[in-house]
Amino acid sequence: MDITLFTTPKEAPLFSYSNQKISNVLQAAIDMQSNNQPQNSHTSTSRSSDSGELPSASGKWASRLLKECARAISDKDSGKIHHLLWMLNELASPYGDCDQKLASYFLQALFCKAMGSGQRCFKTLNAVAEKSHSFDSARKLILKFQEVSPWMTFGHVASNGAILEALEGDTKLHIIDISNTLCTQWPTLLEALATRNDETPHLKLTVVVTASTVRSVMKEIGQRMEKFARLMGVPFEFNVISGLNNLGELTKEGLGVQEDEAIAVNCIGALRRVEVEERGAVIRMFQSLKPRVVTIVEEEADLSSSRDDFVKCFEECLRFYTLYFEMLEESFVPTSNDRLMLERECSRSIVRVLACDDENSTEGECEKRERGSQWSERLKEAFSPVGFSDDCVDDVKALLKRYRAGWALVLRAQGDHHESGIYLTWKEEPVVWASAWKP
Amino acid sequence: MLEKMAEEELPNGFVQNTIAEPNPPVAKKKRSLPGTPDPEAEVIALSPKTLMATNRFLCEICGKGFQRDQNLQLHRRGHNLPWKLKQRSVKEPRKRVYVCPETTCVHHHPSRALGDLTGIKKHFCRKHGEKKWKCEKCSKRYAVQSDWKAHAKTCGTREYKCDCGTIFSRRDSFITHRAFCDALAEETARMNAVSNMNNAVAGNINHQFMGIPLGPNMTQHLPSIFKPNVGSDDIINPTTRGLSLWMGQGSQGHEVMSTSNLQGIHQLGPCSGAMFADPFVSCSNPPPSEYHLNLVFGTKLSSSSTEELSSTTSLPLSDVKETGTQLLSVPSLYSTQHQSHQTPSTNMSATALLQKAAQIGATSTEPSFLGNFRLKFNADSQVQDGNKLCGLYGSNTLVTNLGNNAEKSGGDLSQIHPAKRRRTHNEDGAGGQTRDFLGVGVQPICHPSSINGWISS
Repeated sequence: MDITLFTTPKEAPLFSYSNQKISNVLQAAIDMQSNNQPQNSHTSTSRSSDSGELPSASGKWASRLLKECARAISDKDSGKIHHLLWMLNELASPYGDCDQKLASYFLQALFCKAMGSGQRCFKTLNAVAEKSHSFDSARKLILKFQEVSPWMTFGHVASNGAILEALEGDTKLHIIDISNTLCTQWPTLLEALATRNDETPHLKLTVVVTASTVRSVMKEIGQRMEKFARLMGVPFEFNVISGLNNLGELTKEGLGVQEDEAIAVNCIGALRRVEVEERGAVIRMFQSLKPRVVTIVEEEADLSSSRDDFVKCFEECLRFYTLYFEMLEESFVPTSNDRLMLERECSRSIVRVLACDDENSTEGECEKRERGSQWSERLKEAFSPVGFSDDCVDDVKALLKRYRAGWALVLRAQGDHHESGIYLTWKEEPVVWASAWKP
Repeated sequence: MLEKMAEEELPNGFVQNTIAEPNPPVAKKKRSLPGTPDPEAEVIALSPKTLMATNRFLCEICGKGFQRDQNLQLHRRGHNLPWKLKQRSVKEPRKRVYVCPETTCVHHHPSRALGDLTGIKKHFCRKHGEKKWKCEKCSKRYAVQSDWKAHAKTCGTREYKCDCGTIFSRRDSFITHRAFCDALAEETARMNAVSNMNNAVAGNINHQFMGIPLGPNMTQHLPSIFKPNVGSDDIINPTTRGLSLWMGQGSQGHEVMSTSNLQGIHQLGPCSGAMFADPFVSCSNPPPSEYHLNLVFGTKLSSSSTEELSSTTSLPLSDVKETGTQLLSVPSLYSTQHQSHQTPSTNMSATALLQKAAQIGATSTEPSFLGNFRLKFNADSQVQDGNKLCGLYGSNTLVTNLGNNAEKSGGDLSQIHPAKRRRTHNEDGAGGQTRDFLGVGVQPICHPSSINGWISS
């Protein structure tokens, strides 16, 4: 199967294409397809309905084309793949509007999928990202994101509330932080520890880093955290564990867990990086640490149960990232460089999910998300859910009020009355799930 | 803490509803900590129910209840009582103090009774009551309604300002920013010490320019800060040279300064003296000193030809001593001992820069201060009078850049500096200088020649 992309020169699309242009391209594609028709061996049975889609080149062309392309790849319809990729290539741009951006990043993943070069592409993207990552840039980016959107801070506030309540009264706290949020969760917790109690407890923070891009900056972050804790007057100890291939390798000794400590495990966006088959083992490992509370925050998307069905997986991935990109677009100013960086970060994840077929699993980069209900099923085997207290929920609600409109908190009581977690919704779509568990 | 105090001052034999024995008698002239009642007072213990009851004051005639005694009195007047009965019962002498019914509370003990009924009610609510009132914005909870109302007035209106100059309206984002802010990267202890110093000298600014005598703590402080930073002689010398020249002008220019700058400086507020004493000082208490120096230098620039300024305007101290009181504004400051770096700047931006300067200075050496200094100097002179330098450095956008982002401004200036530098015969080069500002490298301090070239446009 020889797929070659047309190398038509692409105009620099700094601004959105006019609909005219889009329809031009699509029209050209129709012509092309009709020319290609005889060459395709599979098209007699193809269920493509290109001619039906093309004329109306409005709005959500990206999702249509992308889904078409995904189907074509799944069907191994090389001709169609060929010119759909070409069309996407023409129209996509990481600097355009939402559609163009999505087209651009998903095109990359689709291309890799078609070529089988997913793993290589992913490695390259990782290397590039690592090079351009510095403490300053990472810090600025993450703080800016937290300032304009509650995507991350929702999980932080909920988790901090649950942790503070569960560890109330203990004097030696040990928080095991498995996240890649550069410790931005902890200043507010430190402040709460310092001001809420008459006797400030001793806090030991062990950070387990899974993303390679985060590792390099952890030293600096550790220093800042230590200084800040000193400023707050909280006795503080900071450790970093990195270089793990697999979260399941963590042990009590490796983490430095001591008997007299009150343990909290804080897992933000990290469980999804564990290979699907190993997630149960990781949860059991958490259990072995005998924590008082386990807080899990994950993004609400189901990319694991459909991992054998490419099209379904693709559609779910597209749905999720469409939400995410739209959210970014509305939260940041139009010319924001930070938003561009965040979008680029997504590209790695998208490529990983769609184009890397569970081959050699590199360190914790699986990225196959699961929905809150699915995580709950897993967690229920080792833990029982703890509802967030009213105070905590109020704190989260107050947090959301400080952002732009569109965000809401939903307490979803699962079928069996159990409150397993709260959801952050963006325009009524649940996007982030936060929950707390106890043994 | 309260508990400890209760234990310490436990007099003997207090029983509820009896007279508190003065043993030993407590002199109650000044207002001491809450809950140290007059020993002669009558101790009243009310049950929680009574305490929370809203209508404690009952009219004996009609039985109507009132929340406060004054209201009851007003009501009683309406009953047209004969004169005799109008009087309150003579038995009002005993002052009443109240104990908290909560047994675990400090104020449960008569020795720590509270003197005011409203006070004990509020205390009971706050400490032992259910927090029924909640702030909408920040979800803080209160048991007493008046507390809640008071908070609601100020909630969200308060702005939090980080040392780096950024202002936040949200407490949580302020805290998170603070933890990672570069301004924190410095030893916070030093900042605190410095701010103490600032406060010490703060007062006098209104009276005279720089007539603020540096307090003793400053002098003590200076060596500790500067000793590690004092570099080699070639660092010191250029500055002293610069200052002497600058000072030399003092007599000429100072009238100008005194008149035109007086206003500006008076606006500055505290801590102008600090500028001369200690750059770190100015870090914590920014604009005034910086303004002052700026104005001074600005005037100098505008009024006098640039050659006179020749070497740096930066770093006076040792020369100040020598030249004495030529400058109206500076004598006392200069007369103080050690070297310090003047770090003028324009406004809040200057604070940020100073802070950066402090950081850099602490870690590297003085050169960076000078680098900073010059940057600010530039910015300021720009602001001043459409100085020639202004043109060189662009418009006020530079100043605002400095205000917004010290690093960014450093970047801007670095573009400008190199160009300027190349025109002058200097050794270290602008690149080095701006790198200092950004704290990347340690470069030799500015050389007089380079300053000269830089100043003359």
